[in-house]
Amino acid sequence: MKNAAVASLLVIFAIPLLIAVAELPPFGDPDAPIHTHISARYIEQGVEEAGAENLVTGVLLNYRGFDTFGEVTVIFTALAAALAVLLTSGGVQYFQEDRPPAPPKGADESERPPTPVSPVVLFVVRLLAPFIGIFAAFVILHGHVTPGGGFQGGAILGAMFIVLTIVLGAGKVRPRLPEPLARWLQGAAPLSFVLIGALGVAFTGFYLGFPPEHSLHLVRELMMVVLEIGIGVGGAAIFARIFLAMEAD
Amino acid sequence: MSMAFDIFLLLFLIGTALAVAHSKDLLAAAILFSSYSLVLCLLWQHRGAPDVAMTEAAVGAGITTVLFLVTIGRTKRREK
Repeated sequence: MKNAAVASLLVIFAIPLLIAVAELPPFGDPDAPIHTHISARYIEQGVEEAGAENLVTGVLLNYRGFDTFGEVTVIFTALAAALAVLLTSGGVQYFQEDRPPAPPKGADESERPPTPVSPVVLFVVRLLAPFIGIFAAFVILHGHVTPGGGFQGGAILGAMFIVLTIVLGAGKVRPRLPEPLARWLQGAAPLSFVLIGALGVAFTGFYLGFPPEHSLHLVRELMMVVLEIGIGVGGAAIFARIFLAMEAD
Repeated sequence: MSMAFDIFLLLFLIGTALAVAHSKDLLAAAILFSSYSLVLCLLWQHRGAPDVAMTEAAVGAGITTVLFLVTIGRTKRREK
């Protein structure tokens, strides 16, 4: 009875949604509203105006720079909230050395002692980690030319830290990200936006304004690369920090 | 061919999503969710959005799964 009621409710909700989807213009339709307003200008003049051969980066950092600034600020705030919960809940000890005694081994399978890391895994991770790091640096620094950018490269760099933490143990990775350094790194994305925003004021009179003149295209590209590095390093530090805060050795 | 590939991916997506919702084993659900992200990443790439595909692969299939696994490790593996 209850299941039938749930199913009929779902069907009732699904019908208007399906009708709405059927009304949408087909995929890739040149007359669709999203292709008739500003997209044409982005595609025709984006490379020249925004200064990035990858149009997605041009829109993210130049045309919609304020939105991205808001986005990295939201991510930073999310980190602050996550750390506030993780570091005060008592179960996770990142700063203090004294830990509560280990809980008694129960029948539950999740409380078994941790399995030692296989030498194969250790070798492969140690071999691959530098390549992952180089790939992350490439994705971050090349984001204005090829697909990718700060967010993607930052996630890859963060993943490198995480995989090293899993295999080598948090005790060996944590000293590489000391507390004073991590504090600055995890704020790198909003900080770089503030810096580049101020530079934009100096060059164009507008916050986050990129110089449109052709003679300054190197400056514009450099500003983009600094933003990408800020987003990438900040993102990686945030991912690594959350993981380290959850991992209690 | 292209259309058939899309339909196959979408069906796989629905299948993994239902499996995640149904699974009582949270570890299995996390791994299934990772494969969901991977298929979604293929779909983004196939639909011409490589930037989103890279984000999906790195964040969705990679880091989110790891954070889920750590969380499961710190709590219980089975849903009550």
